[in-house]
Amino acid sequence: MTQRTHNWLLLAPAGTWFLVMLIIPLIVVFIFSFGERAPSGGVVLAFSFEQYANLPARWAAFKNTMTLAPIGTLSALLIAYPLAYFLAVKANPRWKTILLVLVIVPFWTSILIRSYAWIFLLGGRGIPALLEWVGIEGLRLINTPFAVLVGIIYGYLPLMVFPIFVSLDKLDKRLLEASSDLGAKPWKTFLQVTLPLSIPGIATGCMLVFILLMGEYLIPALLGGGKVFFVGNALVDLFLQSRNWAYGSAVAVTLVVVMLITVTIYMRLISRLGASREDVSIM
Amino acid sequence: MRFYAICVYLFLYIPIGVIALFSFNAGRHASQLQGFSTKWYGKALSNPFVMDALETSLIVAFCSALFASVFGTMAAVALQGIRGPVRVAFDMLIYVAVMIPGIVIGIATLIGLVTVFDQLNPLIAAIWPDGFKPPKLRMGIGSLIAAHTMFLMALVVIIVRARLAGMDRALTEASSDLYATPLGTFRQVTLPMIFPAILAGFLLSFTFSFDDFIIAFFVAGSETTLPIYVFSSIRRGVTPEINAIGTMVMGVSLLLLISAQLLLQRGRQKSR
Amino acid sequence: MTKKTIDHISKKEFMEKLESYRKGSITRRHFLNVTGLGAAAAVMGASVPGLRPQPAFAGDIGDRVVLATWPNYHDPANFDAFTEATGAHVQVNVFGSNEEMLAKLQAGATGWDVYVPTNYTFEDYVKEDLIEPLDTSLLPNFDASAFDARYAEAGSVNGTLYGVPKNWGSTGMAVNTKHNGGNAISSWREFFDITMDQFSGRTIVHDYQLTTIGSALNAFGYSFNSVDEKELADAEKLLIDVKPHLFAITSDYQPGMRNGDAWLTICWSGDGKQLNTDMPEIAYALGKEGGEIWSDYWAIPKSSERKAAAYALINFMLDPSVNAKEVLAHGYPTADSRTYDQLPDDLKSDPIIFPAQELLSPLEFGAAVTLTDPNRAELMARFKSA
Repeated sequence: MTQRTHNWLLLAPAGTWFLVMLIIPLIVVFIFSFGERAPSGGVVLAFSFEQYANLPARWAAFKNTMTLAPIGTLSALLIAYPLAYFLAVKANPRWKTILLVLVIVPFWTSILIRSYAWIFLLGGRGIPALLEWVGIEGLRLINTPFAVLVGIIYGYLPLMVFPIFVSLDKLDKRLLEASSDLGAKPWKTFLQVTLPLSIPGIATGCMLVFILLMGEYLIPALLGGGKVFFVGNALVDLFLQSRNWAYGSAVAVTLVVVMLITVTIYMRLISRLGASREDVSIM
Repeated sequence: MRFYAICVYLFLYIPIGVIALFSFNAGRHASQLQGFSTKWYGKALSNPFVMDALETSLIVAFCSALFASVFGTMAAVALQGIRGPVRVAFDMLIYVAVMIPGIVIGIATLIGLVTVFDQLNPLIAAIWPDGFKPPKLRMGIGSLIAAHTMFLMALVVIIVRARLAGMDRALTEASSDLYATPLGTFRQVTLPMIFPAILAGFLLSFTFSFDDFIIAFFVAGSETTLPIYVFSSIRRGVTPEINAIGTMVMGVSLLLLISAQLLLQRGRQKSR
Repeated sequence: MTKKTIDHISKKEFMEKLESYRKGSITRRHFLNVTGLGAAAAVMGASVPGLRPQPAFAGDIGDRVVLATWPNYHDPANFDAFTEATGAHVQVNVFGSNEEMLAKLQAGATGWDVYVPTNYTFEDYVKEDLIEPLDTSLLPNFDASAFDARYAEAGSVNGTLYGVPKNWGSTGMAVNTKHNGGNAISSWREFFDITMDQFSGRTIVHDYQLTTIGSALNAFGYSFNSVDEKELADAEKLLIDVKPHLFAITSDYQPGMRNGDAWLTICWSGDGKQLNTDMPEIAYALGKEGGEIWSDYWAIPKSSERKAAAYALINFMLDPSVNAKEVLAHGYPTADSRTYDQLPDDLKSDPIIFPAQELLSPLEFGAAVTLTDPNRAELMARFKSA
C-alpha cells in the first residue's frame, strides 16, 4: 500500500462524517433560507430573499449578542488573567495542581445548575435582600443584562483561565529572573516579557469564549428571563415556537456569516500582533 | 495577589455552595429553606428518569469522545503527509466545524436529518422484504452521537495536530532508517508521543458532550440527557432534587480528582 | 535538548528516547497530573450507572410510557400507582406551550406516547397527521356521557375522536395583594397599566403567543383570538411599551411569584390555586374584559411506538378516583361528573377552581387560527426580541 492510499484511508471516516453531519445539513439550511414559511410551519422551497429582507426584525437580538459577547469575553479575560498569572508564577508549586483543578471543577457541573444558583443569588431573596439589609433598597438584578453578564463570566471563566495558565506556565521563570536581575522594574518585566509570551493563551481563551457566546442560548434564557434576547434565543424561538424554518434558516446563515467575518478579522489582528512581536524580538 | 485569587475562588464556589446548601432543604421549593433533610438525595437516586438521563448522557459522551478521538487522530496523522487542495479543504472543514455555534449545528443537524430521513424512509420501506417491519430512521441517541462526534472530531484534530507539529521529526526518520514499517513507526514512536494529546482530546470531548445542552435540545429526538432533564425540571419549578443531583455530580468528581491527585503524588514519590 | 540544534540523533540516543517514551510516559502522567481529569472521567463513567435501580419488568405494555405535559400538572403519586399496577414507568417531559409541543413533533421528535394538547390545536394535529384516532374500546374508564360537552367537543374533529378531556381551566392573572393594598386585579387594562406604573419590573407574561397577545387584545376590548391586522398592531404597541417594565417573559412563573421577585403574572387557574393555597396573599382573578377558557385532552401522537402503554396510562388517569387526586394536586376543574362527585365539598365551592358562571361568560376558547396565523407568531417573536 502506498503512503498515499494509506492517508486516504485514514482520512475517509472523518471526511465522510464531516460531509454527512456538517456539509449536507449546512447546505439544507442554506437552501431553506431562500424558502418560504409553509402555512402550518415548516418550509416551502422557493427562491426568494424575503427572509433576508426581514432580518431587521431581529436587529435587537443581533445587537444584544454583538455587545454582550465582546463585553463578556473581555470581562472574563480581565478576571481570569491575574488568576492564571498567580497560578502559573506565584502559587506554591505544591498547591498549583490542586488550585488549577479547583478552577476546572465547576466546569464539570452542568452549566444549567450553575446558572440556576445565580437565579437564586440574584433573585429577590439573594443579594438584593442582603443589600436591603445595609440600606440599598429596590435593587433588581435578576432578568437584567447585568445578570446575564455575571452568568457568562461565571460560566466561561475556567475556559479562559486554562489556556492562559498553560501559556504562562510554559514561560521560563529564568527569563523573569534574568529580567529583574538586569534591573527591570516588575511592571516592565510584565509588559515586555510576560504579557507578550502569554498572547497565544489570551488569544485562544478569548476565541473559545467568544465563539461560545455568539451562539449562547441558556444563560440569557435562564438569567435574562426571556427579556435579554440573544440570536440563539431568537433561533430557538423560530424553530421551537413559531415554526418558521425558512426565516430561522436565514437568521442562522446570517449568524454564521457574522461570526466567520468577526473571527477572521480577529485572527488577522492576532497574527499581526504576533508578527510585530517577532520583529521586536529580532531587534 | 493571593487575596485576589481567594476572591475569585469565592466567586467560583459560593454559587456551588448555595446549590449544595439547598439540596438539604426539607421544603419543596428550592428558594425557601425549611429545615434539614437528605430526602432529596434518596429521591434522585431512586428516580429512574434521572438515572436514565444520566445513563444516556454517559453513553453519548463516551461514544462521541471515542469516535472523535479515533477518527480525529487518524485524520490528524494523515494530514501530516498531505499537501494541496485536500489539505486546504480539510483545514476549512475543521475551521468551520469549530467556529460554528452549537446552536447552528443543532438546527442544521435537525432540519438536515429530518429532510434526509423523510426522503430515505419511504425508500427503505419500499425495498424492505414484505412481512418484516422496516426500520425507521429518526432522531435519537444515534443522531446525537453523530452530531457530537462531528464537532468534537474537529477539536481532536486540532489538539493532536498541535502535538504532532511539536514532535521531534528526527525520531520518525530514525525509525524508518532502522527499517521499521510505517505501522511499526506509528505504534512504537508516533503513538506514544501523541498519546497525551489523544487522551486530552478524549477527556475534553467527553466533558463537552456530557455538558452539552443546546445540540441535544434539537437533535436528541425523544431521548433525555441529563442537561435536558435538568432544564425541563427548572421549568417545572425546581425542587431540591436537582440541587441534590448537581451536588452529587460535583462531589463525586471532586472526590475523584483529589484521590487521583493523591495517587499520582504517591506514585511519583515511589518512582524517585 | 532542543530540536532546533539537533537534526540527527544517534541510534543509541534514539533507543533510549524510545524506551523512555514507551515505559515512562512522563508526559502522560504529567498531563493527568495537571488536569486531574483522567481518573475522574474514567471512574465516574464506570461507577455511576451501578447506582441505577433495576426497573420493574412486567406486563405486556412494556416497561415505560413517555408523557409530554405542562408544568405542575400531575400528582406524582398517581404515576407511582400506575407503575405499581402495570410495571411501566411514566417518563414526564415538560413543555412550556402547545406551540412548542407542536414544533417539536413537527421537527420529528418522536418517542412520546401520551400528550395533553389544548382544544385549539386539534385541527392542526389532524391536518398534519400527527395525532392518533382513539379506540374507545381500549379506554373502559371513558364514559362520554359523563363529560360536559363544552369541554369535550374539541377532542373530536370531523366526527373522529382524537382526545378525551383531561381537565379544563381559565387563564387569568395572579397578583401578590401585599403590594396592591390587599386588592386583587381583575382587568387586563389594569394589568398593563399597573405594570407600567407602580409594578414596574414585577410583572410576568407568558412565553407563547396565545395568552400574551390575547391579554393585550383584551385590554383594548378586542377578541382574545383576533387576527385582525389593526387590532394586532394595537396589541403589539402595548406589548412593546410594556416590555421594559416586565420582570420576565416565561411560562414558568411559579418560582418568581413564590420568592417575591414577581408581584403579578398571567396565570393558569390551577397555578393560581396552587399559589393561593401556599401563599394566601396571592389572589387569582379573571379579566373582566375576557380571557381564555380552555380544555386539555389526553391524546396519543401518531409516532408513538408504545400504544398499548399509552392507552393503559390514559385509561388509568380517567379512573374517577385517580382523576380526583389529580384535581387535588393541580387545582384545575374537571369536566367529568363522576370525578366531580368524589371531590371534597370545599373544593367544589372553591372560587378559583370553579368560578361563578357570570365570570366565565366573557371568556373565549382559543381559536385554531391563532396557532397557524403567521402574523401572531411573528408579532410574538418581535415582542420577545425587541
